[in-house]
This record gives sequence, structure tokens and C-alpha cells, in this order.
Amino acid sequence: MAQSRYLFAISCFQMNLLNEAEATLCPANEPSAEVPNGSAGHYLLGLIYRYTDRKKNAVHHFKMALSMDPLMWAAYEELCILGSAEEAVAFFGEAAALCIQKQYLNFSTSPKLHSSTEDCNLVDTRHCVSEDASPRQSKLMQGLKDISGNHHGAPVLGGTSGQPINSGLSNISFYNTPAPTMTQLSGVAPPLCRNVQPNGSNMSTQSAENSPRSTVNSTIQARRKFVDEGKLRKISGRLFSDSPRRSSRLSGDASVNANPNTTAVSGNGTNYSSKHLGGSKPSSRAFRSVTVRKGQPWANENIDEGNHNDILDDSLLNITSTTSTSSSTMEAKSYEQEAANIPVGGQVLSSSKVITGASEILTLLRVLGEAFRLACLYRCQDALETYQKLPHKHYNTGWVLSQVGKMYYEFDYLEADRAFGLARQMTPYNLEGMDVYSTVLYHLKEDMKLSYLAQELIQTDRLAPQSWCAMGNCYSLQKDHETALKNFQRAVQLNPRFAYAHTLCGHEYVALEDFENGIKCYQSALRVDERHYNAWYGLGMVYLRQEKFEFSEHHFQMAFQINPQSSVILSYLGTALHALKRSEEALVVMEKAILADKKNPVPMYQKANILMSLEKFDEALEVLEELKEYAPREISVYALMGRIYKRRNMHERAMLHYGIALDLKPSATDAAAIKAAIEKLHVPDEMDDNL
Amino acid sequence: MSLEMAAESSEGEEEGKLSGGNQVLIVDEDLRELGKKAAWSVSSCKTGNGVSSLRDDNLETYWQSDGAQPHFVNIQFQKKVRLQLVVLYVDFKLDESYTPSKISIRAGDGFHNLKEIKAVELVKPTGWLYLSLSGLDPRETFVNTFMLQIAVLSNHLNGRDTHVRQIKVYGPRPNPIPQQPFQFTSTEFITYSTIR
Repeated sequence: MAQSRYLFAISCFQMNLLNEAEATLCPANEPSAEVPNGSAGHYLLGLIYRYTDRKKNAVHHFKMALSMDPLMWAAYEELCILGSAEEAVAFFGEAAALCIQKQYLNFSTSPKLHSSTEDCNLVDTRHCVSEDASPRQSKLMQGLKDISGNHHGAPVLGGTSGQPINSGLSNISFYNTPAPTMTQLSGVAPPLCRNVQPNGSNMSTQSAENSPRSTVNSTIQARRKFVDEGKLRKISGRLFSDSPRRSSRLSGDASVNANPNTTAVSGNGTNYSSKHLGGSKPSSRAFRSVTVRKGQPWANENIDEGNHNDILDDSLLNITSTTSTSSSTMEAKSYEQEAANIPVGGQVLSSSKVITGASEILTLLRVLGEAFRLACLYRCQDALETYQKLPHKHYNTGWVLSQVGKMYYEFDYLEADRAFGLARQMTPYNLEGMDVYSTVLYHLKEDMKLSYLAQELIQTDRLAPQSWCAMGNCYSLQKDHETALKNFQRAVQLNPRFAYAHTLCGHEYVALEDFENGIKCYQSALRVDERHYNAWYGLGMVYLRQEKFEFSEHHFQMAFQINPQSSVILSYLGTALHALKRSEEALVVMEKAILADKKNPVPMYQKANILMSLEKFDEALEVLEELKEYAPREISVYALMGRIYKRRNMHERAMLHYGIALDLKPSATDAAAIKAAIEKLHVPDEMDDNL
Repeated sequence: MSLEMAAESSEGEEEGKLSGGNQVLIVDEDLRELGKKAAWSVSSCKTGNGVSSLRDDNLETYWQSDGAQPHFVNIQFQKKVRLQLVVLYVDFKLDESYTPSKISIRAGDGFHNLKEIKAVELVKPTGWLYLSLSGLDPRETFVNTFMLQIAVLSNHLNGRDTHVRQIKVYGPRPNPIPQQPFQFTSTEFITYSTIR
């Protein structure tokens, strides 16, 4: 059965048995079989292809998922990460709006609709998510299906027009439970829902990040309670002609907001835990987009593929809207007012409302999508501009601010610090992007802030790789590379698919001068995410140190292709080229590096170095004079100038600069080198001035 | 530099006498311990007090030689390394006649061409002793060598065998940025010198 195939595939995926998962979703002996669970299935299949290195297939499936369900943000994210996303407009445009509309309208014409709104809402909403295939849920689901099957011979809804509703209504009063929310789903089976926690505050952007697992546990607890109620309902339901709804379904789809970072795009007021979803855009439909969790697909076990669910969803949609008007127990949310417009029979789904709602969501998704795509291509300025286009309430949310921080990280650590700080204020329990924040603090050498961040993160979630990355960065800043390495290895253990943890391990190995293991770590990082430019850079550095200049140049080139705006990568590329004696090319690259970031003094210094080796002493000195202004306490500038003056036989100036360099207290090696150079000042030039 | 301070507090120059000794091991930031990359061996030892006791970071355990003088500790590297400082922990109060009194440090490519680079005489030392390998010439700050040999030529009170509790060998930290003539020292440069 399709539904179980999907569940099986999800379980295999979680246990890292990618082959089995793939075989289930795409059975070898049925090449033309439809992928179970529609867009969710395609998304899962895409992930499997991604992790088994079949990029083209992965891209194909993500696109399929998006075409079936334009609101599947996670699939779009994956496309961006693979670097193959087209402009957001293509995915979140008019066609998408029509697609969504069609999905809903199809449902509205089905007679099954109305039916017993009843509990389904109540029950379902309670159940919420519970992706975690809790056995009860699946049993419940099964039970419900059976019941519905028994009673109506039609999946789910059953019941004919008006009457069921009445009975439904009576059911509602019978149950008398405050319906937390009306969960509405996007028409197609909601794919992977994140276990969401009711979150009152920051909703507004959608995000597909991982919610901290601790929250998952608590929600599971909450769910269990509901499941029990659901069971009760189920039993009593048998007594009524209309079977209790398949709570499961709804719950599954609900997912939603619980996630601290997400807000259902469509400003849904609905939040299960009956928290009013504040800031979201009020949408007539109040449907939530299903938020998906990246990399941790939690299937909604209910999700059946095909129309059954769709119909159900739709009917639920209607039902909830209708019940909202009728049931006083329903929380009043903005959409409820609009729901009032819909006749109790729920027959007429106002198509204009669907369209307006859909287009509102899609507008938001377009902006977010475009910005995210640009971010993945490392076109930082463009991405930042796009994020600026968001309305304030969406911009000032944890997810968006983290993304902004990540963009600033590429060229301005202070701004990044600010953005991440704000993000933490908005959503203190969000962990995504915090690994980058810890690196920002590492670069800024803010050890207090960094250790505080690490402590907070560990307290929030001990099982998240980001927390251990932050902790490791803390130790690394204090030069305790062995402990830092242990922490990063822990992060890797927690989630081997988290590329950055591997890269950080690599950095630590290199700091400990264990180049072999360092290379291995960088390569693992690249296996997870080919576009992780930090790993390419790391490899380039290792080879540079081992003097394998050709390899080094190749790796820096790869890093450069992924992130063409990084001045650091450019300056190392230039260094590698210079080491390969391709000094002219090196100079060109250095110029680019200097242009890329005016505040970066290193490429200028390298340029001076190259000029010196090309014997263009005056130009070199010019550059170094400029650098002196910029960084007056940089010993290497004076030392290099001293060397150049010596080559020009301007001994007094050389002496002056060597003297200044020594006064600034260089390291032992450099001090020795400089002193030796001073001694040799009056000795005629030797060819190889290697101090 | 603490290196110089240590030297001043405990002795004159190369051929001088060393006494006292620091209780705490403090070494400059830009030095790093190189012992892990070397193969350590000794000329002779008593069972249970072998060469591993010299490297176990435990001042309770010691190496005890078991043969005729001079006793050697040989430190061999796979490639030439630059060494700047050797630090020994010896304790007259605990070891008395086992405490080394004349020590000679030799360097070279192998056993066949070792040359003495430093000789010291110890007078009732207790604690960490810093033996700098630098010459007076700034070009001689480091000793670039494959092998180092620490020879104990005689002990206090004419003891035959010797106890040494710990030995560490230090060299300069390499430039974290490869292919650079000098190390970066200012924040502006350091922030932009790597990607993490």
C-alpha cells in the first residue's frame, strides 16, 4: 500500500539505509509506478539521490515535488543547496497559484465534503503532527480508516451532504473539546512535517530548519495525550454514523507553526496549541504551508497518496471553516470570520479566497526563495537586497536574520555579529545558523561571547551538531586544538550529514599538523555537500602547506567557482599561482581580490610580495606604504619593506624598518630572521634571501 | 621572554653552572613541544623505569639508567627540525646521588656525527631546568637537526646511575599561513588571513 511504502521508505532513510528506501519508493520492477505520497515522496527520493551522489535525479525529483506542491519550501531549499535552482519566480509564480487553487477547488466539488466536520477537526488538531509514526497514531489512523470504510465505503468523509454535518455538529458538542485549531493543509499530502511546537512569537517566516529535538520530545508528550482522546473518540465514533475523522491526517499535516521559525506562510492564525499565530499574514484561507524539515523527513503516516487525502483535506478545510462558525469551542481566529462566509454545508469553497491566499503566500515565498537562492550562490549583496524587500515583521524573524547573518559573514564580521545577535533575541532557541555565528565570534576573537553562546546552545539542545560546533570553536580560539577536535567529532557523530562539522574537524587536524586526517575530513565534508566551499579552501591550504602547488591551485579554483566574491579565496589562489611561478596571473587575481574587499589587507601584502619577487621594487614599496597607513602595527609590512630596501641598497631605510619591526616584538622565528637580516645588511646581496 | 628570565635566574651562560630550577613549567607562546614527533631511546634502563617515564607528564615516575656512564637519551626526528629549548625536570632532594651533575647536549644527523652544542653543570637542582640551545648570533637561534642526544656525564655525589623525571623539547611554531615570509601580527591581517 502506498502509504506504508512511504512510511517504510522514511524509516529506512532515517536509519541510513538509502538503497532500501530508494527501492521502496521506486520499485525496480515497476518502473512506471507513481511515487507514493506525491510531493513528499518526490522530496524524499530527491534527498536519497542527493546523498547517493546522483545530482541530476535529485534535482529532477525536487522539481517534481515543487510542481506537485508549490508550497514545499524544503524541496526548493534543497535545489538551492545543490546550486540548481532557477529563479524563485519560476517556482512560486502564477502557475503555482493556479495549481494550489486547483487542488482546493477539486475538493470543494466533491460531495464527500461536508460530512462530519466534527471531531475531525477537534481530534485532528489535537493530534497534530506526530510525524514520529507513533504506533498509536498509525493504529488510530488505521482504525479510523476502517471505520470510515465500514461505514461509508468511502474513504474518510463519507456521509452525504447535509446530514452528516448535523450529526457532526452534534458530535462536536458531544466531545466538547476546545478545538485548538483548524488545521488546513495544502491540498497535497503534506510531506515531511517537522515536529512543531506551538510557538506564539516569531512566526512569520517559513523555515525548514530543524527544530530542536528537545522540543520534539515535549510535543510528542502532548500528542500522546491527544491520541488517547482520539481513541476515545474513535470508539464513540462507532456509535455514530459518521466516523470520527482521521485525526491522523490532520495532525500530520498540521505541522505548522509549532516550529519556532516558521510561520505558516499564509499568515495562518491557526496554531494548534491554540496559540494565535500572531504576525502572520491573515489569509482568507488560513492554510498553512506545510513546513518541512530538512534532512529529517518525518512522514505523516497518514498521508495517503492520491485523492483520498486530498479530498479529506479539502473537506477538512471546509469543515473546519464551517465548524468554526458553528462551534464555539473553536478558537476564533481571523480566518474564522472569513469562514463564516462559507455556507455550513461547506459546499462552496470560495475560489477567490483560495487564489488570494495562495498568491499572498506565493509572493512571500518568491522573495524568500529568491533571496535564499542568491545566498546559496554567494551573491551576497544581491541576497541582502532581496531580504531587505521583506516587510518588517517578516524580516525581523529568527530565520531571516540568521540568513542575513550568514551573508554578512562572507565579508563583514561585525554586521554579521549584529544580525545574529538580533536573530538570537527573536528566536533564542533556534539552532540553525548558530554554527556560523560561532565562527563569526571566533574570527572576531570574542571569547566571552563565544563561550556564552556555546553554553546556551548546549543547554538548549545537547544533541544538535551546532551546539558542539560552537563549543569546539570556543576551545579552538584558546588554542586547545585537541579538545576542539573532540567536540567537532561529537558534532559529526550526532549528524554525519552536517558538512560544516566535518570541515571544522579538518581545520583542527591541520592545526595539529595531522594533514592526512585533515584531508580525510575535508573530503567527507565535500561528500556531503559538494558546494561547501570551506572544505575546498581547507584542502587548498593543506596542499599549499605541503607545497603541492598544483593541487592547491586546483582546490582554490573550485572554491572560487562556488564563491566568487571571497577576497580570501582569491588571495590564496594568487599565492598558489605565484608559487607555481605564474606570477602574472597571480597579480591579476590579487587585483581582483583587492577589489573584492577593500578592507582586506592580505591581498595587498601578497601583491607586494609578488612584485618584489618580480623585482618591481618601487611598486611594491608603494603598496606597502599604503598598507602601513592601514595597519600601522603589522610587523610583516615593516619586515618586508626592510627587505626590499636592502635589495635596493638603501641601507639606512632598511635598518629603520627592521628596527621598527623588532620594536613591535615579533615572534621568535621572525625576530631571529630580522636580526639575521640586520647583520647581513652590509653584506652584498645573496641570491636567495631566505632568512 | 620567559626563556631569558629563566636563564638569568638560574645560570650564567653556556659553560656555567645551573642551580635551583623552576617549580612551574612556563614556556613562550610561540614555542611548541616537538617531542611527540620523535623517537625516544635511552642507553640503558632499569625495568619499570624506562624511557616512557620521561614522556608521561608525570613527575613521580622517572627514568633510571642501568649501566656505565655516560648515559644517553636519544631523540630522533624523521626530518630536520628547528629546536630552541630543552627542559628537564630533576630533583636533588628526591634523587640525591642519582641527580645528574654534568650534562652535555649533542646534535647531528645520527650517531655517527653528533657534535656537542651545549654543556652545563648542575648544582643541586630541584625543578624544571631550561637549557636554551640558541647561540649568541641571531642566526643561531635554532638548531636545525635530525637528532638530539642528551648525555649525562656524571652525577651528584659520584652516583653511577641517574634519575631524570621528565624531558621536553621545544621548537618554534611554524607560520600558520603557509608560503609567507613573516607571521601576521595585527588583528586586521589575522582576521582576513583564513577562512574557517
